[in-house]
Amino acid sequence: MSVWSQGSPVVALGLEKLGDWADELLAGLAMTLYLYFVALTIGFLLGVGLALGRQYGGPVLSRIVTGYIEVVRGTPLLAQIFLIYVFPYSLNAWLTPDGPPFFMDIRWAIEIGGIRVLSHPILSSILALGLNSAAYQAEYIRGAIASIGEGQMLAARALGLSQMEGIRHVILPQAFRRMIPSWSNEASYLPKYTVVATFITVEDFFGMAKRAIAATFLSLETWLIVAAVYLVLITVISRVLERVYQKTKIPGL
Amino acid sequence: MNKMEPVLRVRDVWKSYGDLEVLKGISFDVMESEVKVVFGPSGSGKSTLLRCINYLDPPDRGDVFLRGVRLGEKDTDINEMRARIGMVFQHFNLFAHLRAIDNVAIGPEKVLGLSKEDARQRAMAALEHVKMADWADHYPAQLSGGQQQRVGIARALAMEPDVILFDEPTSALDPELIGEVLQVMLDLAKEGTTMVVVTHEMGFARAVANEMIFIDGGVVVERGTPEHFFRGADSERVRQFLHKLEELYGKEREELRDVDGE
Amino acid sequence: MQEAPDLMTIVMLIIVNGVPATLQLTFFGLAAGFAIGLVLALMRVYGTKEMQWFATGYENTLRGIPLLVFIYIFVFGVPWVFWFVDAVSRPLFGVFFALGIRSGAYQSQIIRGAILSVGEGQVMAARALGMTAFQTQLYIVLPQAFKIALPSFANEYAVVIKDTSFAYSVGIFEILKVSRSVTAAWPALWVPSMLIVTVTYFVFTYPVTRYFGKKRKIHVSARGG
Repeated sequence: MSVWSQGSPVVALGLEKLGDWADELLAGLAMTLYLYFVALTIGFLLGVGLALGRQYGGPVLSRIVTGYIEVVRGTPLLAQIFLIYVFPYSLNAWLTPDGPPFFMDIRWAIEIGGIRVLSHPILSSILALGLNSAAYQAEYIRGAIASIGEGQMLAARALGLSQMEGIRHVILPQAFRRMIPSWSNEASYLPKYTVVATFITVEDFFGMAKRAIAATFLSLETWLIVAAVYLVLITVISRVLERVYQKTKIPGL
Repeated sequence: MNKMEPVLRVRDVWKSYGDLEVLKGISFDVMESEVKVVFGPSGSGKSTLLRCINYLDPPDRGDVFLRGVRLGEKDTDINEMRARIGMVFQHFNLFAHLRAIDNVAIGPEKVLGLSKEDARQRAMAALEHVKMADWADHYPAQLSGGQQQRVGIARALAMEPDVILFDEPTSALDPELIGEVLQVMLDLAKEGTTMVVVTHEMGFARAVANEMIFIDGGVVVERGTPEHFFRGADSERVRQFLHKLEELYGKEREELRDVDGE
Repeated sequence: MQEAPDLMTIVMLIIVNGVPATLQLTFFGLAAGFAIGLVLALMRVYGTKEMQWFATGYENTLRGIPLLVFIYIFVFGVPWVFWFVDAVSRPLFGVFFALGIRSGAYQSQIIRGAILSVGEGQVMAARALGMTAFQTQLYIVLPQAFKIALPSFANEYAVVIKDTSFAYSVGIFEILKVSRSVTAAWPALWVPSMLIVTVTYFVFTYPVTRYFGKKRKIHVSARGG
């Protein structure tokens, strides 16, 4: 018996109308996961750079990095994503109020096999999420670096390793292990905050759910399903990271 | 190479932190195979002195020469010089994420540019030297303090340095673990390793030091052979200090009497 | 069409029309979250197995779902749970409720961590003096725990005030919504008004996290020594 056939609990709850939206919802979920992984990766790479800049960058660089981190952490992601999204519009409106767009045509899109993988809204979301996450990840990474005793770098330098070599061979390998528990906070925060993409017309999981509700009027039912899916996703992410941490722990510590 | 040229030459080294003057013109030479023991009250600048020697803390004034080459010169690569000056730390400072063998091999591999296999072979030999070969695959946190310090010594040895600096290598150890580390150091000294040792282990000094240097307030107060100091130092300060050490540690430690009697 | 407002006017609009709702939501969200968090934390540390299980389940569930989904559930899914207020105010209650129950999950973790870091010795010493379990909590453990937790509370405050911006999506006139209503009429003002929004939030978050963040550094170094 299919879940959609007469008499099944799904039909009894009146959820069969949502079945028509299954493909769209799945596509939305795929978009959410896509935004998440790309933004997390960008955030990580940039975060390592920011953390090293803040810790070892000298007075000027470390101040600039600190300013970036504080501003990003002190303001809502929603405002950040709007800023990034509207920036080209604003620039065009300012430079060529009546003519064709000067800076860039924001209606571009890249499709692979009929699936839209990059467009102005998607890129804006990735940038906003990535730049935002970088500031948080940088602090977790820096915290891990700072928790490593001074003696480690001292011993590395005493052996004749340069500062960069010391960072690469001694500090970072330890910092990456140490940061996993706190870093998993960010890794399980970020999927939830991908919903902001909805507000700049990206059809992520949340946005698709909104559309499904507009068509089916099954508001509470849909939101509960959406909640459950996010819950499963984030639970899986934190379990996996817990596993990774146990696996990479330094024996004896 | 001139046999009479010192391995290490420390010339009028000064160092201050803000208003606090820690070193006020320290000079001494270390000859090939010589063991120098530096001692003095805590806060007298002994550890700072060692860090000035390998420029982990560059001196404000004065010079350090390694086999005639001045450190801190623009065209001397300080990392290359440090590779030739071994250092053993009070708190071991083993790399927490590396097994004992990799702690010892990382210097030869990354700094001296040895191949992975050669570096590991050399590391294994160094671990054997300090009788830690059986523990090669353990992580630092799985070793006792004495074992960690022996790995720390092996890490310095594997670089085949011209001189090894020991910064109070036993003072962070539980009393029952001090003996194994001192034994390794005594062996090294007898093999002809050039060493500068900051320590309060007077038994060790008496057994192998060629010269002892007493530092207080950032200056050399008195220097001489162990016999000179133990027969009765010139300065009242030194005599008081030695007396206090005796009270604290006992005239001679059991394990050192054994060593001494060899 | 009206003339476009200058920047000072936008700032005034945001302060007069937007900031009050933002601060209201923040305050009530944090307060509700604190009440929930305190109960949950005590349940987790001192409660029976069932209580611990419940509190942990609550935390994991609330932390696993986007705030926006909660807001939509309360505002559009079950608005009737706020039958006691008129229909116009229900969205505000929905957001407040969503912020509160979510913050409760995080504050529970903050308080629990702080209680645990106070240490067994303090409890034993208090009990040895003859204090009851309740007195021990009230006079010995919780005062120390809250002091330890201050930086984390400051951080949670920043999280909540930033997340009140989601209220804009259900039509509540807080900081973001006010500026969006300006940009809806004058798209050319998008970037400047968003920048004003950003600065406004920053003015409310940074001094607080900075002040308590500094305290934390002292705290950490004191513990390291």
